[in-house]
Amino acid sequence: MKKGKGMKFVGDSRIRSDNPPFVPKDYSEYPGRTEAFWPNFLLKEWLVGAVFIVGFLCLTIAHPSPLEGMADPTATDYIPLPDWYFLFLYQLLKYDFASGPYVLFGILVLPGLAFGALFLAPFLDNGPGRRPQHRPIAVSLMVLAFVATAWLTYESAKDVDWEARAEANKPIPPNDLIDTSSDGYEVYKNNCASCHANELEGGSSAPSLIGIDHTPEEIAKIAKEGIGDMPPNVFKGSDEELDQLVEFITEVNEKADE
Amino acid sequence: MLQKMYDWIDERFDVAPIWRDIADHEVPEHVNPAHHFSAFVYCFGGLTFFVVVIQILSGMFLTMYYVPDIENAWKSVYYLQTEAAHGQIVRGMHHWGASVVIVMLLLHTMRVFFQGAYKKPRELNWMVGVLLFFIMLGLGFTGYLLPWDNKAYFATQVGLDIAEQVPLIGTYLKTLLAGDPSIIGAATLARFFAIHVFFLPAALFALMAVHFILIRKQGISGPL
Amino acid sequence: MSEKKQVSRREFLNYTLTGVGGFMAAGMMVSPLRMAIDPVLKAKDAGDYANVKVAVKDITTEPKRIEWTIDQVDAWYESEVNKSAWVFKNDKDEIIALSPICKHLGCIVTWEGSDDFPNEFYCPCHGGRYYKDGTNVPHTPPNAPLDYYEQKIKDGMLYLGDTIERSEAK
Repeated sequence: MKKGKGMKFVGDSRIRSDNPPFVPKDYSEYPGRTEAFWPNFLLKEWLVGAVFIVGFLCLTIAHPSPLEGMADPTATDYIPLPDWYFLFLYQLLKYDFASGPYVLFGILVLPGLAFGALFLAPFLDNGPGRRPQHRPIAVSLMVLAFVATAWLTYESAKDVDWEARAEANKPIPPNDLIDTSSDGYEVYKNNCASCHANELEGGSSAPSLIGIDHTPEEIAKIAKEGIGDMPPNVFKGSDEELDQLVEFITEVNEKADE
Repeated sequence: MLQKMYDWIDERFDVAPIWRDIADHEVPEHVNPAHHFSAFVYCFGGLTFFVVVIQILSGMFLTMYYVPDIENAWKSVYYLQTEAAHGQIVRGMHHWGASVVIVMLLLHTMRVFFQGAYKKPRELNWMVGVLLFFIMLGLGFTGYLLPWDNKAYFATQVGLDIAEQVPLIGTYLKTLLAGDPSIIGAATLARFFAIHVFFLPAALFALMAVHFILIRKQGISGPL
Repeated sequence: MSEKKQVSRREFLNYTLTGVGGFMAAGMMVSPLRMAIDPVLKAKDAGDYANVKVAVKDITTEPKRIEWTIDQVDAWYESEVNKSAWVFKNDKDEIIALSPICKHLGCIVTWEGSDDFPNEFYCPCHGGRYYKDGTNVPHTPPNAPLDYYEQKIKDGMLYLGDTIERSEAK
């Protein structure tokens, strides 16, 4: 950079007016097998990025992002699960030594030590050697922590029936499937809602009535005689009301199918 | 014409030195997969940044439909996912990107750790990186609640209860995060939205800038 | 020359700069921060008792889950929320209304929720267990007994109020 008198600037600014036009460095100026960042190296990175985005988009298309039913704070039978990268912590808190009176160990001491050590790793492992074999303690601790975390994650996830969870928590379309002013809904409310819930979504004791695969005759029969865990004679109404109920449930299901 | 435009801008902005620094800096042989295939491990950092860009963009577009209100949040997500063209994909990008970015961060962290690349003079950048990791986990935690589905609600409840068990400040911490000492509701969603969309990204950008400037200043760590 | 340390002009200006900067930052941040921490400082008003529509004579020694609704004010959002309790009579014929919220991490416990542990409340999340009186079973995750509801009886009906932590009372 030239300095001193005789420099010319653009107007009264500090930008030099004799700014040389943009000329990239000649390739011969790169020593050894180094290369220019732009465009040589960046192209290679972007090739990797292009492959990556294709794979990523395939993932998003193949696996639609899950959305469960709208949050219902009163859902008592819901077993919460955090996102997978918090599962290890969730699992840790199940153990005796990290819960009950020792919960502070589980939520503060252990994670604090682990993440504190990670944060301060350059100062804890301050020897001169960079190769893994020159710093056995740091490397083995990291491998241990990694294996422990992976194992905890596996432990918390192995007993989860993901498909059943997804099935049980399918979102119910929020549209006006249910005509709450109809006679059929009135009958439903009096006879079925205590188990199958106000919007047919089901609950801990009974399944959802949306998306069922029964003919109207079968629905009428089930209402009177029960099925599975459902006892007979839950429905207490006239035959006319039964017809209204069946018509109502069938209608809701037809609408839901659309 | 383009050259004229460039000259006009350069006369005012003095682009060349900045551009030179970015474009012309030498990339050493040992990180170049063309020379050593194993150098692909150096891609993880860049890919992490790439996913962060995906997250920022998809997140920006998601807010065109999303409303942080407990009556409508779930409905807006359901709508954008089922009714809006390509909404499923945009939300998918943001949803899966949140997981992929953690995976990439882990790989990047492992690369740096096992190469001992955090040793002097790169301690500072390592610490900035760990902070970035925490911010990313915070983004994951706050973003998880936003769709306001059962999974979101109950996982957040568990998370807030963990915060509550911290001695002395636990209850305050929970109230500060949730906006109410006992209810996870309207105030919680608004707060999580603010944290997820403004506070944490602001910290993320600042730290990312420091992270990148330090890399440019110090250069990439040498071969083992 | 005096021994006293002189403040140079540059130092003085630096201190002043810091002071003025602090003033600007304070002016900018006081109200936003106060607003952000408002929920922490807001006093909580005592809750009312709600009629849970259970007649005292119907309560047996077998814990029964009852549900009722209260009007809840969540900041600007007012709603009716469902509350629930496990209600039973203990050996001394006292009515006990336990909160079903697990003291571990806030999941919902169920009476005899696991076939392996009869006569206990069971939490499906982390396998927390409580004896019938709500005391946590040692060596399971919870570290406190289940909360119980404040209660009163009027005209033979059960009224429940706020939950009370066991460690505070008795």
